[in-house]
Amino acid sequence: MDRIHTMGTQTDWVVMIVYLIAILLFGSYFSKYNHNTTDFFFGGRRFSWWLIAMSIVATGVSSHSFVKYSAKAWEYGFSSSMSYMNDWFFIPFFMFGWLPIVVYSKIRSIPEYFEKRFSPSARFFVTILQLLYLVGYIGIGFLTMGKAILPLMPPSMNLFGIEINITLMGLIIVIAFVTGAYTTFGGQIAVLFTDLVQGFMLLLAGLMVFIIGVDYVGGWHAFWNLLPTDWKLPLAHFNKPPDFNFVGIFWQDGVAGSVGFLFMNMGLIMRFMSAKSVNEGRKAATFNILFMLPISAIVVSGGGWVGKAMSMLSNSPIPANTEPDFIFVVVANIIMGPGVFGFVIASLAAALMSTVNTLLNACSAVYVNDIYGPIKVWMKKIKKNEKVNEKRALLVARIATVAFTVLGVLAVIPFSSYPTVYEAHGYFHSTLTPPLVIAIFLGVFWKKFTPAGVIATVIGGVSLMVLGAYYPGILISPFDHGTPMDPVHPYTYIGALYNTLVCLAVGVLVTLFQNQLKKTSDILKKQTNHNFIIVTMIVFTVIMFGMVIFNIGGVQLLFILTLIMTTFVAIISTYYIKYDPVAQTEGLTAGSIHRAKELFKGSKLNEREGEIVKVNWKERNDNEDEVNLSKHEMNKMNAEVGDLVYVSDARKYLGGLKSFHSKIGKPHDEEGIIYISKEHVTNGLLIKTKPLTVEKEM
Amino acid sequence: MPSFFNTWLPFIYLYGVGGIFFFAGMILIRKLKGIDMRQKKHRFWWKVMFFGYFYFMIIHALLIIAALYW
Repeated sequence: MDRIHTMGTQTDWVVMIVYLIAILLFGSYFSKYNHNTTDFFFGGRRFSWWLIAMSIVATGVSSHSFVKYSAKAWEYGFSSSMSYMNDWFFIPFFMFGWLPIVVYSKIRSIPEYFEKRFSPSARFFVTILQLLYLVGYIGIGFLTMGKAILPLMPPSMNLFGIEINITLMGLIIVIAFVTGAYTTFGGQIAVLFTDLVQGFMLLLAGLMVFIIGVDYVGGWHAFWNLLPTDWKLPLAHFNKPPDFNFVGIFWQDGVAGSVGFLFMNMGLIMRFMSAKSVNEGRKAATFNILFMLPISAIVVSGGGWVGKAMSMLSNSPIPANTEPDFIFVVVANIIMGPGVFGFVIASLAAALMSTVNTLLNACSAVYVNDIYGPIKVWMKKIKKNEKVNEKRALLVARIATVAFTVLGVLAVIPFSSYPTVYEAHGYFHSTLTPPLVIAIFLGVFWKKFTPAGVIATVIGGVSLMVLGAYYPGILISPFDHGTPMDPVHPYTYIGALYNTLVCLAVGVLVTLFQNQLKKTSDILKKQTNHNFIIVTMIVFTVIMFGMVIFNIGGVQLLFILTLIMTTFVAIISTYYIKYDPVAQTEGLTAGSIHRAKELFKGSKLNEREGEIVKVNWKERNDNEDEVNLSKHEMNKMNAEVGDLVYVSDARKYLGGLKSFHSKIGKPHDEEGIIYISKEHVTNGLLIKTKPLTVEKEM
Repeated sequence: MPSFFNTWLPFIYLYGVGGIFFFAGMILIRKLKGIDMRQKKHRFWWKVMFFGYFYFMIIHALLIIAALYW
């Protein structure tokens, strides 16, 4: 099929370029607030919920959302919105399980949680999965961006006398270069603030396309009546067709996707970590899911819905050769005037940068914290709890960003074989999220879950998933709920149910047999040739894993080998890993959040509620990390010496940009005054004449 | 008129199976004391979480009714 090319006018291109440059400059301005890796990655843990919520919108409603949901909206109608309306089920687990643990345990990455909760080897396996997940996500982002921009480009262009064919891959490489450069020098603070602007721009652009589109077809009644009843339903058909059915998408998106997004999307987690407190993170999550996601559903699908209505008109302006992934751009081009179309596409482009920036930032955070740091320890360049050199770490983070940008571009290749981005993303989610989702979930909510359990979940679970991918008709079909199997891309969505169940089964069974594993390990240790036995088991495990990956042997043989291999992995893990089930669960499971807060504070908690006070500040001549308030203010706050406080510029619209955390020192008698150190002034970016608000944290 | 497989079955499955996850989560955080009902803020969040579940259920139900009868 011939592709659509050369859409838009010169005015659109000018608007697009001006918009992108403005966003780059805006982000670069805020990069000056990056003092160290905490600022670079986490934005210094100081921002208000509304800033976090808006920045989440830009990450969640990215360009791939516009492209993929408009495609399904065009093919199937309002049910394209269901992915945005099924995220609430796991919110209790997130708000009162994972979120407080992430913040109070002071982890800098998800793999780090696995080291604290289980062992360094668990961290290693999780790091690999986490990076695969993030790089895959970046690949999806680049692919959709290419698909969104390609219709605007001519088939070829002449540059200094050389005729250059414009291909999808070539375009993606250019986009990746710009995005990578921006993230490399910006960091998380830059991302947060550009996202704030982009969140608004995206919503505006999407709503404009929908509202102008509805007007184009003759107003709301005409729009509503043009659509067939099937297209107006908010949920898809239960189990048909294979490329878009409710039950598959429920398991792939509502379960694996939602949990994956909330629990293991490091980009999102970093947003919550940059919130000034856990409660502020809860507000951001709630506001986002309850209000922004339903609006976002309209914003990202509107182009497709309007396109469908336009296609029902007697003189349909939609070209017959329109591919579903191009519908948003095609519709926007038809209904928007010159310049406005450029603005819409620029918003889309900026949104991709937003999503990819966050993911690239997350990748480099994982790299610095989970690969670079541990390697330094292993090479004995630094001690275990010693911090790596900040300047060096920042440089490494920037180099890592470039490397992951390249890997993201390479990840586009496998995804481009799917007919639409929606299916590519669906397959990606149902395949890569289940092992990590189960590992995190059991780790947080099941105190008995062991290191052997988590490693077996990753290795054994992945093996069973690979087997499922090779033999879907045998292994996945019992769970398919009547969904037809597409032989080219079998069980794109419902595969998530099988993958989740096998990972869960492996994790639970290995943990339940922990006593037997311990006994086996003890017996092994008493053997004179125990090293030989264990090495032999490792060798056999690698061979069996290789046989599964390369599908050598039939399904029955490989299934039995997978079970044997999983048992070996469980025994080997129990043999090697020293695990203290009391110390390694304290403050790291949902049952010990109170303890996590105590560990975070370093002393007994003071949870009496108090007021937020407004004070003027004076600088002390030292760098002690404590603030001194008057007795009067401390009474109003219900605070005691040693309590943690959040001190911020009183101007709320700054969203916490000028703020810092500290603890309360000895009180004084000067009412309305807070004494702070020089470092507080520098880190908090405070202005002499501006008053501060002080809030007791705990 | 679309079939039951296209209208109410997905709705029942969504809030039935999804509800199992949601209420299991609510019970679990209460049992594990992740949520502390002595704190005013936590009592507020407890209500918000229930509100969210029924909020989406009502939106979906209204949208199905609108598609079928409006």
